[in-house]
Amino acid sequence: MFAIKLGLRNLTRQKRRNIITAMVIAYAFFAYLLMDSLMNGMEEMSFENIKDLETGNIQIVHSDYWEEREELPLENLVYLDQDVEESLKNINGLSGISPELRFVANLNNGIDELPILGLGMDPDRYQEVFTTGEYLVDGSMFSLGENKAVIGEKTAQLMDLKINDYITLLVRTKEDTFNTIDVEIAGIVNTTHPMVNSGTVFVPLDIAQQALNVENRVSLIAIKVNPGYEESVTETLNQNFNRKDLKLKAYSWRESAETVIALSAAKKAGIGVILLVVLLIGIIGIINNVILSALERTEEIGMMKALGMKEMEIVSVFMVEATGIGIIGGLIGCLLGAIGVGWLVKYGFDLSYAGDMTNYGIPILNKLYGVWNFSAFSFLFILGIIIALLSSIVPAYWAAHKDPVKAIYHR
Amino acid sequence: MALLELKKVKKIYQQGKIKVPALRGIDLAVEQGEFTTIFGPSGSGKTTLLNMIGCLDTPSEGEVKLNGDEVSKLSQTELAMVRRYNIGFIFQAYNLIPVLTAYENVEFAIRLIDHSSDAQKKEKVLKMLEEVGLKGLETRRPNELSGGEKQRVAIARALVKEPKIVLADEPTANLDSETGAEVIKIMVKMNQELGTTFIFSTHDPLIMKFAKRLLNLKDGMISSDERR
Repeated sequence: MFAIKLGLRNLTRQKRRNIITAMVIAYAFFAYLLMDSLMNGMEEMSFENIKDLETGNIQIVHSDYWEEREELPLENLVYLDQDVEESLKNINGLSGISPELRFVANLNNGIDELPILGLGMDPDRYQEVFTTGEYLVDGSMFSLGENKAVIGEKTAQLMDLKINDYITLLVRTKEDTFNTIDVEIAGIVNTTHPMVNSGTVFVPLDIAQQALNVENRVSLIAIKVNPGYEESVTETLNQNFNRKDLKLKAYSWRESAETVIALSAAKKAGIGVILLVVLLIGIIGIINNVILSALERTEEIGMMKALGMKEMEIVSVFMVEATGIGIIGGLIGCLLGAIGVGWLVKYGFDLSYAGDMTNYGIPILNKLYGVWNFSAFSFLFILGIIIALLSSIVPAYWAAHKDPVKAIYHR
Repeated sequence: MALLELKKVKKIYQQGKIKVPALRGIDLAVEQGEFTTIFGPSGSGKTTLLNMIGCLDTPSEGEVKLNGDEVSKLSQTELAMVRRYNIGFIFQAYNLIPVLTAYENVEFAIRLIDHSSDAQKKEKVLKMLEEVGLKGLETRRPNELSGGEKQRVAIARALVKEPKIVLADEPTANLDSETGAEVIKIMVKMNQELGTTFIFSTHDPLIMKFAKRLLNLKDGMISSDERR
């Protein structure tokens, strides 16, 4: 008890140094919490963007299509017949179905040409799965049968296009012959997903099927599920397909977002490195503090030893002091972190300063918002205290191990 | 049996390749209740001898017995326990803990050895502070006390645990003569009332005046041992 009392009282000595050490720890905590919040926010937004604007929760494709899907082939497509439709019915947790035909096209505005991803879809069913329609900044969505298209804002800027302009999509049919799709621009979208904004042209599914000569076939069927049903719906779908011998397979969005998930794993490793740096800062601060305190209090340590204090008792005084600094620094850091994270959650971080995030494989545009990760606060605070405690042991033992005669006479 | 016994105690310091003898074979016996002063010129070995007696240092040769027990071969932890229960120290620079009050500085020493109730400990501490003339100053921190008052706190800290021996290294060196005299009188009073053995290392003639025994140290040897 006396060691605790003395250790805590010692916090009032060398106030400036103790405050600086605590503030260094606080700053390290603050920086870590902010990074953690942003990284988690980036992960959450990336995953949401992929699910809401790119893949849906689940994608159903022909078994042989999956491996080749990046090439956007017109082989091994899904034929939308009664068997397939029945396989998708009455599945608990399934909330939306959207067939899509994805194809390679060149967008021509009469002057320039741009390679893009053509996406044929049924707008009514598409909105059951995707939120793209909510990001219309000009015009409106088309209907099936209309020779109209929706493009991303960046594509529109790049190709100098606006609503009611006509564009031609140069495509190759299933038989590898050339064909064109002439459409009027019905709407322009500006989503949070860069791929949609700059490289995709949406056209009615029936128009695309006709131009590509694929009959009633689609590249994939995107599925939306209620939260928590992803695994069970995927399993049920695959069971249904197997039972009907349909050569179809359901894949979770995670399997088509491997790059982003790999980036997310790298992000976790990055956070680990930041955590190490934070801890190192804390350790160096505490060790420095204890060593300086011990040097200043050499005669006092000598007196304690003369009075018969054991080394461990002297060590515990320094440990209490170091832990106190860790607690103060941790509390200030968590408080500053809470303010910073709160700001990031509410106002976000403008990515325009950071350049085009797609260059780094991150499917986010405009603003990146932080997320609350309360476990990071408690984890860091507890870890900070433990580290402060542990990092003080060696210098405190060094101080307590001094020869009492040399310490008393400060030799 | 003498309270303290030194037999042929030698202390040699190694300074690089040179061996410097600080004590060259001290034989000394101190009885309970003595008020002894060790004096001599600088470098004569006074502080080294005090360190041997106080179990802060161990001799290179010879033996030190406290209360009949050999202490010169003990480990550092065992020596700490001997100091804790048997020896009180008064330093020239007081060596008080600046963040503790006068009361807490004294309480600190008693907490190490006394397992009685807090109330009993408090009573002992307050009584000791009163004995050294610090009643009413218990809540003051060292920076709020004069040099003489600080040394009184150090005396109270040394005496509160009722040690067998109190060792004082130049206790009046940082005090003016009037304050020094007051501090010595307190120690004389404690010696008489409690029967505590005091051993001083000093140049101060005032302490020598009050001493019952004078040990003159010269070149690491006792050159004279005068009892009064």
